[in-house]
Amino acid sequence: MSSTVSSPRTKALPTSTPAGESPRRRLRAVLALARVEARELLLQIPVFVVLCVYVAYVGWELWTGGGEDGAYPVLQDVDRATQPESLFLGVAVLVCVNRAVLRSRRRGTDGHFDVLVMEPWRRTVAHLLSVVPFALATALVVAAQFTGAALKPGAVGTGSFSELAVAPLAVLLLGVLGVLIARLVPSAFGAPLFVVGGYIAVVLLLSSSEDTPWLRWLTPFVDEFQADPLPSDLLGRPAAWHALYLVGLIVLVSCAAVLCGGRRTLPAALGLARAARNPVAWPAVGPARLVKAVALGAAVLTLAGAVGQSRGDSPALLAARKQASVAPEKDHTCVPHGRSTYCAFPEWTGRTEDWAAVVRRVQSLAGGAAGGTKLTVRQRVDARYGLSASATLEPSSTHGQVTVGTRWGGNRVPEFSVGVASVLVAGNEEAAAAMCDGRVVTVMWLALATTSDPMASLRDVRIDDSVSGSAIVLAPTHPLEMTAAQTTVVRELLQRPRYGVTAKVKAHWTELTSPKTSTARAAELLDVPVPKGSEKEDKCEE
Amino acid sequence: MRGVTRPAADEPLPAAGLGRHAVGGLVRALVLPVARGLPWRPLAAGGTLGLLIAAGTRLHSDGVQPWLALLHLRAAALAFGLGLAFLLDDPARHTTATVPVRRLLRAGLRVALVAPVAVAWWGAAVLLVPAEGRPPLGDVTLEVAATAVLALAAAAAAVRLWEEPEPGQATAAVVLVTGVAAPLLMPGRWTLFVRLGVDRWDEAHRAWAWVLAGAVLVWVACTVEPVRRPLGGWSRSSPRP
Repeated sequence: MSSTVSSPRTKALPTSTPAGESPRRRLRAVLALARVEARELLLQIPVFVVLCVYVAYVGWELWTGGGEDGAYPVLQDVDRATQPESLFLGVAVLVCVNRAVLRSRRRGTDGHFDVLVMEPWRRTVAHLLSVVPFALATALVVAAQFTGAALKPGAVGTGSFSELAVAPLAVLLLGVLGVLIARLVPSAFGAPLFVVGGYIAVVLLLSSSEDTPWLRWLTPFVDEFQADPLPSDLLGRPAAWHALYLVGLIVLVSCAAVLCGGRRTLPAALGLARAARNPVAWPAVGPARLVKAVALGAAVLTLAGAVGQSRGDSPALLAARKQASVAPEKDHTCVPHGRSTYCAFPEWTGRTEDWAAVVRRVQSLAGGAAGGTKLTVRQRVDARYGLSASATLEPSSTHGQVTVGTRWGGNRVPEFSVGVASVLVAGNEEAAAAMCDGRVVTVMWLALATTSDPMASLRDVRIDDSVSGSAIVLAPTHPLEMTAAQTTVVRELLQRPRYGVTAKVKAHWTELTSPKTSTARAAELLDVPVPKGSEKEDKCEE
Repeated sequence: MRGVTRPAADEPLPAAGLGRHAVGGLVRALVLPVARGLPWRPLAAGGTLGLLIAAGTRLHSDGVQPWLALLHLRAAALAFGLGLAFLLDDPARHTTATVPVRRLLRAGLRVALVAPVAVAWWGAAVLLVPAEGRPPLGDVTLEVAATAVLALAAAAAAVRLWEEPEPGQATAAVVLVTGVAAPLLMPGRWTLFVRLGVDRWDEAHRAWAWVLAGAVLVWVACTVEPVRRPLGGWSRSSPRP
């Protein structure tokens, strides 16, 4: 906060050295000032608090494992998820670096700087450089976030360096924007109002740009709500172009800030006022030319990035997405585990062992031929409508084929067990989706009996988180419907010791898996009190 | 040195000693100078930006939805709040500290002068939103009032804790970062920034009423002068010659 004139910390500045010194010493002076400014910036309350909260938040996520499917991260989504959180740090840095640039004006020490050897434009460069440590800190946090996810045993997929680079670049961009704003609008309320205005501008841009993706990609982060992870070659995000765009923009804004460094007000910067009164304030002719040349190069870079990122989805990508959605077997790698085969997109083959464990568990409870049926577990996605569209998968009519999605962990595990059990009982997914008789009891018991906490799993797979009454049960493709009577029977079965029920299920397997068996009959076979009113509910709705 | 250059300021004449009559006269005498000393420029900038944001609701191509209008109005309130964060800036703070009028009266006068402006601004902002897109006005007004008073409380706290004559920019930075981060970092079970049409709307607005009440209390507590100056610590940026 102290002014750089009187503070003892800034003794490193070569304030008393003669003017004709070597460029190296000048550079050293700039770096020394940048270091001091970076330290001052860190000690500003908003930056300090936001940095602490950011680090603590990421640390907490790493420590607790990050939510429901945190143990099974998909790295091509994790890289993108590191971006939005860095926005707060960027905003805090923008406001505070702006304040730091305007400090001399606020303290009335602008005039004192005129007698120093260091020109105002070098001072601007130092302010620009003072943001760099915060970008580096963001890079470290992002690296920790990504490494933490990548080191998990359940991690699949590949991250992209360009996506990971966006968070640090965005912090840097917002920081240098803070310097530029201070140079253009030297007033205390320029930066905060810029942030609010910029926020609304982005909202307007996003709400009106559904048909024009190029507008959306002009914002620092392009966050897409994504229902299910896709294989990395189907993402089609121009991440590298976007990183190039951000780099170009950063250099361009920095050059603009340096060029405006000497001119104190917006009218002067726009050339409306007369030329600067103070020749020292301008970059000397040589450096000014260099900065202008760099700015030109950066503008070209920005434009190239902007054009590159707004080309939209290529026909090849659309074709690949369609093929992955309609005929995934062409992209799949199949791995046999036991009797069954597990076909997945190449990035997911490591997860087939987890699926096989669920299939083994469910199949061990089934009786008759179902206990030894050869299943094909096939991973499916629907990428035809792009990243942000969520489409439910159509049930497959192939005999013995079970669908599995691209997510895993949390609720996805019991949902997959329901899928496996319903195919074992009904033969294929299409037939399973139409089930509305006593077989639902068998399916639900098969799916949930071997989970570590069957009642909790029952609550998880039901869409309303209940364990009584009728409800929809989630499965990888179409959901099942459970009537109140079926729920009562399943609840009763899940609370009994498993080995007793297993014997009865295996003994009556043929009848329990017949479409003609009513819920009441299934209850009788399994020795459970028959719930009242089960006959009425059993009728299939047409 | 301190005691010499800055006489034990903030120790005003006991206002209790002045009669009601005298206070009235004092207010009359102060109105004009205080009005002239108000930081109108940040207020005007924040207010203008707020109105622009509210008018931005008309830019949406397919008509404005109430939830989007709510977003705009919240952002507009934040913009105006950023202007209000500058309200207690007083370049002459170190000379006016010695006047025998309490800070509560001076700051209260500033707030009273700005209040009609704020009310008019809010009315204009609401009118700028197309009628079919307006969210429930009473509740949103409560949110906006709470935001404004929070900004004022932050300004008062800055005046109380720092020796800085113009802490407005630092206050605005804190208000801004809080305003941006709070809706996103707040745990889900705290109901404050609810979406429109959620059943927790009423609960959230009871919470907003508490926030408003708390902010008023903080403002009053921070505006009353301390009996003694804080020693060292917070007063890092003492004024320079």
